[in-house]
Amino acid sequence: MKTDALIAALAADTAPVPAGAVGRRLRLAAALGCVGGLVILLAWLGVRHDLMPAMRTPGFWIKAGYTLWLSLGGALLIARLARPGGRAGPATPILAAGLIAIVLLGAVFLVAAPADQRAVMVMGHSWRLCPWRILVIAAPVFAALIWGLRRFAPTRLTLTGAAAGLLAGALGASVYGLACTESSPTFVAIWYTLGISLCAAIGAASGRWLLRW
Amino acid sequence: MTDEARLKALMLRGLAGEAAAQGQLLSALSGYLRGYFGRRLGAGAADVEDLVQDTLLAIHLKRAAYDPAQPFTPWAYAVARYKLIDHYRRQGVRQAVPLDDAGDLFAQDNPEEGAVRRDVSQLLATLPERQRKLMIDVKLHGHSMEEAAQRSGMSVSAVKVSLHRGLKALSRKVLGEAAKSGEPHED
Repeated sequence: MKTDALIAALAADTAPVPAGAVGRRLRLAAALGCVGGLVILLAWLGVRHDLMPAMRTPGFWIKAGYTLWLSLGGALLIARLARPGGRAGPATPILAAGLIAIVLLGAVFLVAAPADQRAVMVMGHSWRLCPWRILVIAAPVFAALIWGLRRFAPTRLTLTGAAAGLLAGALGASVYGLACTESSPTFVAIWYTLGISLCAAIGAASGRWLLRW
Repeated sequence: MTDEARLKALMLRGLAGEAAAQGQLLSALSGYLRGYFGRRLGAGAADVEDLVQDTLLAIHLKRAAYDPAQPFTPWAYAVARYKLIDHYRRQGVRQAVPLDDAGDLFAQDNPEEGAVRRDVSQLLATLPERQRKLMIDVKLHGHSMEEAAQRSGMSVSAVKVSLHRGLKALSRKVLGEAAKSGEPHED
C-alpha cells in the first residue's frame, strides 16, 4: 500500500477521542480485577471470622495501609508508563517510602517483642501460604490490567509489565487482607512484600510479550 | 511557528474528530519519519517505508494514549523510537537506540538542510549495500573505522579501502552532475 493511500484511509477513520481515556480505562480494569480477586477469595478462603473486631486493631490497618499505599504508587506508575515515552516519575519515591516504612515498623515491633515471641512475629502461622495466596488472588487483577494496557502504548514493556504486576500484587494483597489473620507488621514486611514482588517479577518477565504493539 | 506548535495543533484537532487535520498531521509526520528511519537504517533501505507506515498506523490507533497537557513531538518521537527498536528486535539485531530527545526525529527544521540531506541519501543510494553502510556508519554517524569493521565483519584495512573507493565514487558522481548542469546542451 502506498503511504499516501494509507494516510487518506486513516484520516477518513478519524473519530473524536474523549479526554482522560487512559485513566478511565485503567481504573475500570483495576476495579474489575479486584472484583475477580474478591470472588476467588470468597469462594476459596472466605473472609476472616473476626473481621469486625480485627478492624479495631492497628495490626489490621498497618497491613491494609501498606498494601493500599503500594497500590496507589503502582497506579501512578502505570498511568504514566501507559503512554509513549512515559517515565516512572514520582511513583518511585512513593513506593520506596511505603517499603521503608513497613520495614522500619516491622523492625521496631520485632525489637520490642519479647524474645520468645520473635519467631512467631516473623513466621506467623501462614508464611508458607501467604505469598502464593497473594499471587493467586492477584492473577485476575493482572489479567484485567494487561487488557486495559493493551489499548494504550507503553514503550518500556518490561518496566510497564513490572508495574502492572506490582499493582496487581498490591491490590491482590489488599483483598487477601480480608482473609489473612496475621497481625504482625514484621510478617507483613517480609511475606506480603515477597508475594507482591513475586507478582512484579512475573509482570516484568512477561511484559515484553503481553504488552507488545 | 515551531514544529511542536504546528503539529500539536493538528493533533488536537484530530483528537476532536477533524479528519482533514488528522490527514495533514500524518502527512507532515511521514516526512519526518522517512528521514529519521532513513538515517538509522541507511537511506533507501527497503524497510524504511514499511516502518513509516507502521508508525503512522500506530500514531493513529494509539491517539488515546496522548495526553493533551504534554508536548506532542516527544510523544511522536517515543512511538517512532519504539517502532525502530521493535524492528531491530524482529531482525534479531541487538542495537542500542540512543534515548535522545525528540530533536532527533524533527531534525529538519530548515528546508535547505532537509534538501541537502535528501541529496546525500540519493547519492548514497547509488553505492553498493556494504559500502553504503560503511559510509553511513563512519562518515555520517561518526563511528570509528574499528567499530565499523567490527559491525560489518570486515578487517580495518578493508574498511579503509572501501571507504576510500566509496568517497571517490561519490565525488566522481557529484562532479559529473555539476559538469552536466553546467552544459545545458547535454541535458
